Amino acid sequence: MVVLNFTLTPESASKIHDVLICLGKFNDTVAIEARRERFTLTGLNSSKSAYAAVSLDGKQFFSSYECIPSHGGPDGRFTCSMYTKALLSVFKGRLYDPLGRDGAIDRCEVSVQERENEAQCRFIVKMVCNQGVIKTYKLTYEAVDVMHALFDRNVAKNRWSLHSGAVKEYIEYFGTKTEMLDIFAGEEGRCVFKSYTEKITNGKEILKHPLVTAVAVNTSDFEDFDVQPGLHIIISVKDFKAIVIHADTLKTSLKAYYSQPTRPLQFSYGCDGLVCEFTLMTSGDYTAAPTTPTPAPQALNSQQTSRAPSAATERTDTRSMRSGMPPPTEAASRRDRAGRLRHPGSRPPTQSQQAQQDPESLFVPDPSEARQREEEEDSAWAPLDYDKEETLGWDASADHDASVFPTFRDSGSGASRTNTMDSNDVIEPTQRVSQLKDLGLW
Amino acid sequence: MRFKASIHNVATFTKLTASLNSLGPLAWVKLGEEQICFTIIPEQGTQVWAVLSVDSIFETISVQSAAHNVINLEVPLASLTRALKSALNATSATIRLTKKDGVPVLALTIVTTTSSNAYSAFPANNDNRPDASSADDSSGGSRETIVTQEIPVKVLSPDTVAGLHEPRCREPDVHIMLPPLMQLKSISDRFTKLALADAKTGSGSVASKPRLEVAANMHGCLRMSIQSDAMSISSVWTDLINPDLDPNEVDGGEAGIADHPSTRMKLLGTADGRSKEGWATVRIDGRDWGKVMSVGRLGGRVVACFCHEHALILYVYLPSEHSDDESVLTYYVSSYSA
Repeated sequence: MVVLNFTLTPESASKIHDVLICLGKFNDTVAIEARRERFTLTGLNSSKSAYAAVSLDGKQFFSSYECIPSHGGPDGRFTCSMYTKALLSVFKGRLYDPLGRDGAIDRCEVSVQERENEAQCRFIVKMVCNQGVIKTYKLTYEAVDVMHALFDRNVAKNRWSLHSGAVKEYIEYFGTKTEMLDIFAGEEGRCVFKSYTEKITNGKEILKHPLVTAVAVNTSDFEDFDVQPGLHIIISVKDFKAIVIHADTLKTSLKAYYSQPTRPLQFSYGCDGLVCEFTLMTSGDYTAAPTTPTPAPQALNSQQTSRAPSAATERTDTRSMRSGMPPPTEAASRRDRAGRLRHPGSRPPTQSQQAQQDPESLFVPDPSEARQREEEEDSAWAPLDYDKEETLGWDASADHDASVFPTFRDSGSGASRTNTMDSNDVIEPTQRVSQLKDLGLW
Repeated sequence: MRFKASIHNVATFTKLTASLNSLGPLAWVKLGEEQICFTIIPEQGTQVWAVLSVDSIFETISVQSAAHNVINLEVPLASLTRALKSALNATSATIRLTKKDGVPVLALTIVTTTSSNAYSAFPANNDNRPDASSADDSSGGSRETIVTQEIPVKVLSPDTVAGLHEPRCREPDVHIMLPPLMQLKSISDRFTKLALADAKTGSGSVASKPRLEVAANMHGCLRMSIQSDAMSISSVWTDLINPDLDPNEVDGGEAGIADHPSTRMKLLGTADGRSKEGWATVRIDGRDWGKVMSVGRLGGRVVACFCHEHALILYVYLPSEHSDDESVLTYYVSSYSA
């Protein structure tokens, strides 16, 4: 019987929320792996071209953490998988709110109840709220074996690091509905992020083609930039956006590691005991990049690792602890799919699945208030969606921005509205206009 | 064929394309050295013919073509709007016509400068982590980023556009300045919703086209109403302005004005809007009207011309710094017969 108990501060709980939002963009289930000293959430997309791992340090991230796996000794682990949406309905937004408004919590206690002889195994989350209210959620989970993608940073000679806030600015330039992102290290001290879609149509359909956006950044704006000049590497723009938006919630630097097209690329960032690693499949013309000879032993190493980005072994950086682990089991079909050299510029297999998903569904709202206001103003002018369900109720919020809430009240002139509010003269809706005339409202 | 221009009023340009985009996905754009024309002719609904002075959007422009230095393009408005939005905070923005892989594109080049710590200006979730900002301290100065947006377009030959003509209409019975469009929009949206809800709950045979009845008189009154078996709702605005006609613009000068339908309408109706006479009425599609109202974001003066039971024409005058170069958007809204 596993023992797994931990407590989260409101800040950490809200970070879990952000992590789940991000992982939710890769898959609708999230895998959990608890070890004695750390807790890892992983996600693998359905085409197995993108793998995400967020590891939380037992001592640093949690206010208390205890995990004693039922077997496996010091290297033992407890693994399970859960629906991202189920977890998100527990780890809602606004768990951390310094003003203690609705939804804010005091702390969050999580435990796993696993009984070998009973059917009821539950993942129990207790949200201890501010007014002595305790919300207890009992979630079901599925016992699964958790796999990790391998990535050998020694082979990934191309590296850069850039503040997530800057990258977030760049992705905001990208048009919607684009599929690919080409990261190109130019020769004149510039790095170009280009979002585009491969030609699918021609003739009359040409006007439906999404925008092609190229953002050229001075490499001096990077905190660190060491990439072979002329190298193109292509990943999915949707994955990139998901990663950047999450990295930006942590306000850290985004680090990229890659070797050459068709070999995996890794993004990494983190702070305060939270480390995120995303291993992505790449494409691109691998023959076009000027090849610098790689030392033979490392090349061999890269063969092994990149062939199995979704396979079941420990990550390379913790290889020393692998002794207690079961040997890697790897399906032959999967190996073939992830490891084959793909045609230059061909679409990664993720695209068909991703196209069906609503790209906007889980995006976190923009923190920039100015932009938000701009968008609200924009939507106020946009044609109304008449099919949307609408309810008419009292507006209890303190925001009385006429352009944002086009309600009946707003049809009056601005002056009359402030008059009504200032004088606190509540006017019954049943009064006749003639009765109101002398109040000076019209 | 060459077109290159630097944009000095990105905000207006963006609002213009966004408003036009609500009526149709594609615009016919006619580029000239003096004027830029945007025309939307949807299969159904309101047509827009917009004529802008070059100065209202562009700082410098150069147009060269074999056809009298005029270039006609078919432009997807959603892409253009998206591209322009990314230029809102730019230090400079230029647009030019070019070819990419054999496909003509409008390439928008934007130069932005961001101070290196701008992205940490938002204190969201940051106040509890003093070490989070230490990453920024290493880099100083400002960053210059160049963004290129490529919008696929189609070049239209002079023959293709030769057959497109602005609708002609008889002299209007009533012309009136509309109240602030946000006000008008929130009321008409509400009415449209009610009409749709009524059609849903009532007999299923009623067409799903919610009809708004809009009427105005020559005494400063505008009335918007919906009627159905179950209800009759109307809102009336009074004290609006009926602009005077310019004798130079009317056929026949002063005599033409005396014979003008609006002069006759002036004799009918009252300024409190209670009289049954003197109204020029049109019946319009509520959904379509909601799209037309999108032009309110440009913040121009709007004169509505009512041809009784026939059509409603809106002239939207863009606010401009120089009074001499006037930019006008003309909306042709047709009326259902009773």
